Amino acid sequence: MIDASRNLYAILGIPPEATADDIREAYRIMARRFHPDANHNQGADVQFRDIAAAYSVLSNPGDRLRYDEARHHFHDEPAYFSLRAIPSKRVLSTLVEPQVLYLLLDIVPAQRVISARRANAPMNLTLVLDRSTSMRGARLDKVKIAAHHIIDQLSPQDVLAVVSFSDRADVLIPATSVTDKTSLRSTVSIMRADGGTEIYHGLAAGVAECRKYLAPRMVNHVILLTDGRTFGDEERCLALARQAAEDGIGISAMGIGEEWNDEFLDALAAATGGSSAYINTPRAVLQFLDERVRSLGDAFAERLQLTIAPDADVLLESAFRLNPHPQPLEVERQPIPLGTLEKNRSIRALVQLQMPPSSKAGFRSVVRLDVTGDVLVADRPQYKVISDIAVELAHEPSPEQPPTAILDALGKLTLYRMQQKAERALTQGWALEAARQLENLATRLFAAGQDELAHKAAQEARRVSRTQAFSQEGRKSLKFHTRQLLALPEPGNDVP
Amino acid sequence: MKTCPYCGAENREGVLFCEECGQPFVGQADVPDTSRLDPENHETFKGRMTWGTARFAEGASVLIRIRDVAEPLVFEPGAETIIGRLDPSASESPDIDFAPYDAAELGVSRRHGMIRRGEDTLTLVDLGSTNGTFLNGQRLIPHQPRVLRDGDEVRMGRFVFNIFFR
Repeated sequence: MIDASRNLYAILGIPPEATADDIREAYRIMARRFHPDANHNQGADVQFRDIAAAYSVLSNPGDRLRYDEARHHFHDEPAYFSLRAIPSKRVLSTLVEPQVLYLLLDIVPAQRVISARRANAPMNLTLVLDRSTSMRGARLDKVKIAAHHIIDQLSPQDVLAVVSFSDRADVLIPATSVTDKTSLRSTVSIMRADGGTEIYHGLAAGVAECRKYLAPRMVNHVILLTDGRTFGDEERCLALARQAAEDGIGISAMGIGEEWNDEFLDALAAATGGSSAYINTPRAVLQFLDERVRSLGDAFAERLQLTIAPDADVLLESAFRLNPHPQPLEVERQPIPLGTLEKNRSIRALVQLQMPPSSKAGFRSVVRLDVTGDVLVADRPQYKVISDIAVELAHEPSPEQPPTAILDALGKLTLYRMQQKAERALTQGWALEAARQLENLATRLFAAGQDELAHKAAQEARRVSRTQAFSQEGRKSLKFHTRQLLALPEPGNDVP
Repeated sequence: MKTCPYCGAENREGVLFCEECGQPFVGQADVPDTSRLDPENHETFKGRMTWGTARFAEGASVLIRIRDVAEPLVFEPGAETIIGRLDPSASESPDIDFAPYDAAELGVSRRHGMIRRGEDTLTLVDLGSTNGTFLNGQRLIPHQPRVLRDGDEVRMGRFVFNIFFR
């Protein structure tokens, strides 16, 4: 049985009427770019497996014929989503030294498909709520109110589970369709604060509940809410998250207050394409959970995965999801989970590459990008788009202004990175360096019109040079607010 | 490579914001490609960019060199040294008075800024001046002290001077 849902010709970069010679030649070129012997990038490895599989079908005349016949069913398949990539420069100078190239990626849902299709995809949602002693009082009350609010928003086609945890986990509501809202609400109300914080137990129970109704046509997601650090089980949590991502479950993590381990929650969210956020007041819990659930409810496609496969001599340095939910992406593990593609919001990411020294003018390929996702609104699993990016090299290119969108995004990303740098300097014990970075950050924020954040940065700079330490509140607030600057204004979102 | 005009850090070609200090490189046509410079020129070009020391020893004094003025001002900073221009109608007078150098026309406020002495550093503070204080091209946040380094360029309004430690 031949799987015709993928366009094998596109994978080899050739038209469907290509001759046997064309196919062989295309494979040779692709192998030179991506074969694991020549190219050690994670993404290249992923790509080459696809390329080899495509070649094995198309190079066999009998298989190719059967594939072409089966592929007929997909001929009038619309483009469900598209991938656009803009480089920071279209024509690079030939240089004897390496140079940096940025790519701005947009994954855009096709409007035509949206308007023709039915309402929201059903949700399979699990809330994992921290009920450790430190949550007692306003925090837990707000969490309950937020959970009630979510129950009210869900419809009978949705599935909900609620797990509470301290140093052990309790399944308050086993995964069930949301029909009897009153009883669900009262079950949440009986949650009482008690015990320590061990995230793994809660997360494991939550993922297990989510798995019960796991379905490709649903949005499968776990939302973790905690105010504490977990001790010693971070690695187990991350392994669990990666497994969950492979099964198609996303995880979003929210930290309340000042104690929680932001790097851990970041890693947890990045492993599944989810998001992480910082909530500094109990009141904001509702807003964040609400936004998260609304965003999941607006899902157009789920389980989006991005592969970035640079050519063998190109270095992939970093990638950052700008929108929605700004989040650093882990490029060491590919494919990179990107989470949900919403109906009205494109996914935008910025990729930083280093080009090798080169004296040869002319066009050259740089990177292959590949996005795969399950299109919920059309019941089309594993829809794939591929984009090969090429640039021109010239000896004396005419000056070129980088695209405004890249400047804008990178300018803000730079602010976030400066904050990260100050943090790193401080963990190495370089307080003066950290203070200097924070002073720079304050100046840039001030220039960007972010007076309040600028003052916060200046305040932390003084604190760091005095006490060699950040305030927990200041550090998290700077990190998540500089990150938040990256988010584009949301269309049609009138959150006050 | 290109050198950041603000902090002197070396950045690779193609970088759009200094990876060290965040300074934007775009619209800065005057930032040269060092790869096209020969090594000798490279050195002279870099000379100005390096950072001076931030350490201000006990007993040291400050030398202010005003652009286009031959004779520098030298003083030993106290706990707080107010910089501005003397206005005959006002009762207070600044410790460092720029009035003789057309300071009023160049936008220096009466109490424009202040040099504050720390343990072994000096900091520069803008006192909420009308036209702002710039340290090496970056505008200071009013009332937020910034550490001064030997050789730093300070601009108050359009009045430019350099600070050296002696």
